[in-house]
Amino acid sequence: MNRWLSLLALLLTSACGGAPRSDVSLCGPGGRLRVGLVGAQEGQLESAAGVLADREQFRLRELLTVASRCEVQLEPVVSPEQARLRLKSGGWDLAFLPPGLTAFALEQNGGYGLVRQLGRRGNSKSQLLVKASRGLTSRADLRGQRLGLLPRGSLSGFYLPLFNLHGLRFSEVQYALSFARLREMLNDDKVDVIAWDGAIPHGMEGFEVLHEDSHLIPLGALALSQPLLQADHQPFLHQLDENVTQLPRSLGYASGVLPEPYALQELRAIVAAVEGWSLPQGGQAYTVYGAKSATIAGQGGKR
Amino acid sequence: MSPIKRLFPEPGRRPLRQQLAITLTAILTLSILVAVLLLNLLFGWQARELIDQRAAFFMDAMLSVRAYTSKKVNPIVAPLNQGAGLFRPEAVPSFSAQTVAGLLKDNPDYREYSYREAALNPTNLRDKADSFETGIIEKFRRDPSLKRQSGSKATPLGVVHFVAQPIKVSKESCLVCHSTPQRAPTSQLLAYGDSSGFGWKLNEIVGTQIVTVPQKAVFAAKDRSLIATAVLMTLAFAGVGVITNLVLNQLILRPMREISRKAEEASVIPATVNFEERERRDEIGLLARSFERMKQSLAISMQMLKDRKGQGG
Repeated sequence: MNRWLSLLALLLTSACGGAPRSDVSLCGPGGRLRVGLVGAQEGQLESAAGVLADREQFRLRELLTVASRCEVQLEPVVSPEQARLRLKSGGWDLAFLPPGLTAFALEQNGGYGLVRQLGRRGNSKSQLLVKASRGLTSRADLRGQRLGLLPRGSLSGFYLPLFNLHGLRFSEVQYALSFARLREMLNDDKVDVIAWDGAIPHGMEGFEVLHEDSHLIPLGALALSQPLLQADHQPFLHQLDENVTQLPRSLGYASGVLPEPYALQELRAIVAAVEGWSLPQGGQAYTVYGAKSATIAGQGGKR
Repeated sequence: MSPIKRLFPEPGRRPLRQQLAITLTAILTLSILVAVLLLNLLFGWQARELIDQRAAFFMDAMLSVRAYTSKKVNPIVAPLNQGAGLFRPEAVPSFSAQTVAGLLKDNPDYREYSYREAALNPTNLRDKADSFETGIIEKFRRDPSLKRQSGSKATPLGVVHFVAQPIKVSKESCLVCHSTPQRAPTSQLLAYGDSSGFGWKLNEIVGTQIVTVPQKAVFAAKDRSLIATAVLMTLAFAGVGVITNLVLNQLILRPMREISRKAEEASVIPATVNFEERERRDEIGLLARSFERMKQSLAISMQMLKDRKGQGG
């Protein structure tokens, strides 16, 4: 009966010359919207469950469904390595990315474009942290030591530390999902040096910064795949901008703010250079070696 | 006078042809309405059967993919996940089934189909059950004898038909990745962390496999068939009505009008009238023969009256 009433309403609307609705769906090539959710910050979460609370996740999925008019497949990911693989294979149509993956996404042969800024401005810089008692004072002292990193895909926890350690050989490389876990590993003498984010207080005495990279870590971004960029995506973004309060606060979605690509320019070159190296396997020895791009100004930083 | 009584007055108040047309129209309209209602039920039942069949086939296909991964792929790939290297999800049946379903969706013909494995506590948060899926899982957990749930699900994009089956931890091998982080491969911990997807127990129902198939297109096709059938029936019944009317006119009404005209003529000059219809062997012939006899009686009576007048003069 409802169907007949709907049909009747539709006929009446058509007969009265009603204009068709202008709602256009914004879907990926598979007819659905595959959304990657890594968040705006690197190495701050220990588990995928921490990316978003259940309720926030459902609310975000609903908002994205309504805005895109597509079936949404939301994939919260805690490992930058997993996210990197998704971006590389074009497995996401839209992604909320931290800085390192933002730079990586831009390197995918124009596969992704940035449409909104994520996160809040801070003083994040990539550092190398050691135990003061070990007597390690310069990068050269790290030869033959054990290195702790965040997984591949992190700017402050992987790309920049490796770039700054170019030429050194480590007896072992260990990975952890968060800076907090890396600090525990350093404290428990499981590693000798770890990657660290300068904006996070290391909270324990006896640690010291061996090296700080000069680059300020830029903000994360909301990235769209090329097919979506080529489609009319403005109504979708408009919906997100208008419903910014429905988005999880932890994302730091900046309504109407376009990312600043120039802030990423040099870091993109570093990411591209490091990506071209043969990279370390967990639990194995590794020599940081590979070609450095000519466009990179050079290493910077203290000590 | 009520409209129905006005439409169907006492017999004999309208020309026979009109009475017949009104009666036929009423009967045929009622027949069409009853037939459309019954056909709507029949077509609706057939549509639901078709949707169920499609959902069952889709579910079985995905279960086959899971079985293949479990038996053939996992033994080869799972050992590669033991170290701290890259976690290869290809070893996980759930991953392969959902990936195959995703590839199927790339075909525009299957865009509205979906397959999902939702769990209350999944390893990959992509598979986290939403409130609707949680309700389904809880129902399976409350009643372990329940093997299947199905029905309609309203989504922001429309109503879909779903079929759900429980995911039960039936093998000890599942617990390697899902009991404690200590037992799980390092590569898995590095990929998904150590707080989700653990604590599963043997024989516990932890999630559900849900297929959704579009029902809008099937019901739209059903409605189109129903409308086409109703139109064809109306045309056929209208044809029957017109032909019945023509036949009636030819067989009964026209001869009756002719007999009536001749009877009127015979009442004045009987000798000039001839009821040819008396040769017929039906009721019209019977009527014509009666009129013929009446005409002859009238002619004799008139002759007798004339003769009596002549004798008297």
